[in-house]
Amino acid sequence: MNNSLIKIAQPLLSIQGQLASWSAVTSQIHTSAALCRVVSGKYRITKKRDRPLTYEMANPPHYIAHRKTWNSWNTSNLKDGLRRSETAVEDEFIRRFMTGTWHGLMCSEVIIKRQFNHIRVAAIVRRAVSPTKMYFLLGYTEELLANWLQCPVTLELQTVDSFQDVVFKYI
Amino acid sequence: MSVFIKHYRPCGLVSGFNNKIWRYNSTTADVATSKNEEDEEFRVLDILKKRDRQQRRVARRADVQPDRADRMAVDQNWGNVWPGPKSFHPSSVPLPLRQGYVPRGQAPPGKKANAELMKIPNFLHLTPPVIKAQCEALKPFCTEWPKLLNSEEAIEKHYPVEIISSDYCHASPSIRNPLARIVTLRIKLSTLNLDKHAKDKFIRLVGDRYDRETDLVTITADRCPVKKQNLDYVNYLLTACYHESWNVEEWEKDKTEDDMEYYDWDKNASKKSLVNWYLRTKNENRELTDEEYVAFDISEIPNGEEYKNAVSNYLNDGESEVTVKNYAKSVRKLLGLPEAKVVT
Repeated sequence: MNNSLIKIAQPLLSIQGQLASWSAVTSQIHTSAALCRVVSGKYRITKKRDRPLTYEMANPPHYIAHRKTWNSWNTSNLKDGLRRSETAVEDEFIRRFMTGTWHGLMCSEVIIKRQFNHIRVAAIVRRAVSPTKMYFLLGYTEELLANWLQCPVTLELQTVDSFQDVVFKYI
Repeated sequence: MSVFIKHYRPCGLVSGFNNKIWRYNSTTADVATSKNEEDEEFRVLDILKKRDRQQRRVARRADVQPDRADRMAVDQNWGNVWPGPKSFHPSSVPLPLRQGYVPRGQAPPGKKANAELMKIPNFLHLTPPVIKAQCEALKPFCTEWPKLLNSEEAIEKHYPVEIISSDYCHASPSIRNPLARIVTLRIKLSTLNLDKHAKDKFIRLVGDRYDRETDLVTITADRCPVKKQNLDYVNYLLTACYHESWNVEEWEKDKTEDDMEYYDWDKNASKKSLVNWYLRTKNENRELTDEEYVAFDISEIPNGEEYKNAVSNYLNDGESEVTVKNYAKSVRKLLGLPEAKVVT
């Protein structure tokens, strides 16, 4: 696909001879090798077989919709969905904000479900901080995210004693 | 367990005693000796590491409440426990759920700390009793269905105009969807009050929006940004087309037989010759005007109606085996000729 793009772009260039626009085009073309299919979302087996994996990590991406489900639920993913890029960027922002705010506490992926303008963020956290702190973080996260995204945000957390509770297997 | 320890005291030089002290040391006595003789510090070889093996007791946290699901009454109102859409929470659902793929012979992961159960949308807030209660609550706001509109035909008769538009539900901060603006109006042409000329003109005006097979006129509007505007626009289009089709322009009177879009037997030479032939068979020699030819009642000619239909079909539907055979049959009947013999 990248090659075809270049082929399309070249005759245009020769006619117009705009080198400046050409550099702008090249910077947008992504030419790195596609490793994602082989490597991404998969974990290597350790020598001692002591790497803990959650259920989510234990199933590689091609098992989505077979053994595990998506982490983002919204209508933008559907055919002819609206706000595709905005939703993706917002979801990534929510994920990063959650992992940073609940630092070292998150035991699972952040699950983001959207219904109308309501964003529901679900996750499993460790009970490593006091309930008072947890309540503070809850309100803080909801309030800030609601302010940034201009939508009501609800946090639906489940707590576990330690990370050991979410470990599915060791490899 | 006992152990022999050889202990050499360097301070012996000072005290004057220059002899080595041999001590029998046992682990049981170790605690007492270390307590009493604090100055006598020496390392103990703890081979089995008994001291470290002593497990640290995991303190049960007092602030973690037991599961809510364990204390639920069997006859509770579930609608109060789970009033709205929510992600799955194991402590509030008293069901022994399991979810996840595991190799054969193993049990799937339980409901606690199971992210898969939290991901999938649940309908725990829409149990049948809850839906029933909500329907009951909505009932006072509903009106009764009109009794006379009891069939599709009745609805079609009283409400011939059909408006089709879509609403979209989607997850987004905005409730607007550009596709919601499209409005379609559908009406059966036969329900409109049109005469022959007006109907012909109406069909020409709407063009391919008219479906001959279903007799439906479909007008779609999507040029305005809002649904209300498009709705007004389709209504305007229908009204404009209707009134325009009733207008008879001056130039429409110039339409000759060559301009006709279909074969009208009554106005054609075929009727003239048929009428002439019929009058001659009755020995009436009359000269008829064009209007009289058109107005001539065909039903008084035996088999004339059938001949008319055969000729009209032949010329309107095109030449085919059926129309040609029909034509032949009607001509034979009209002229009183015997039926065609089928040679087998």
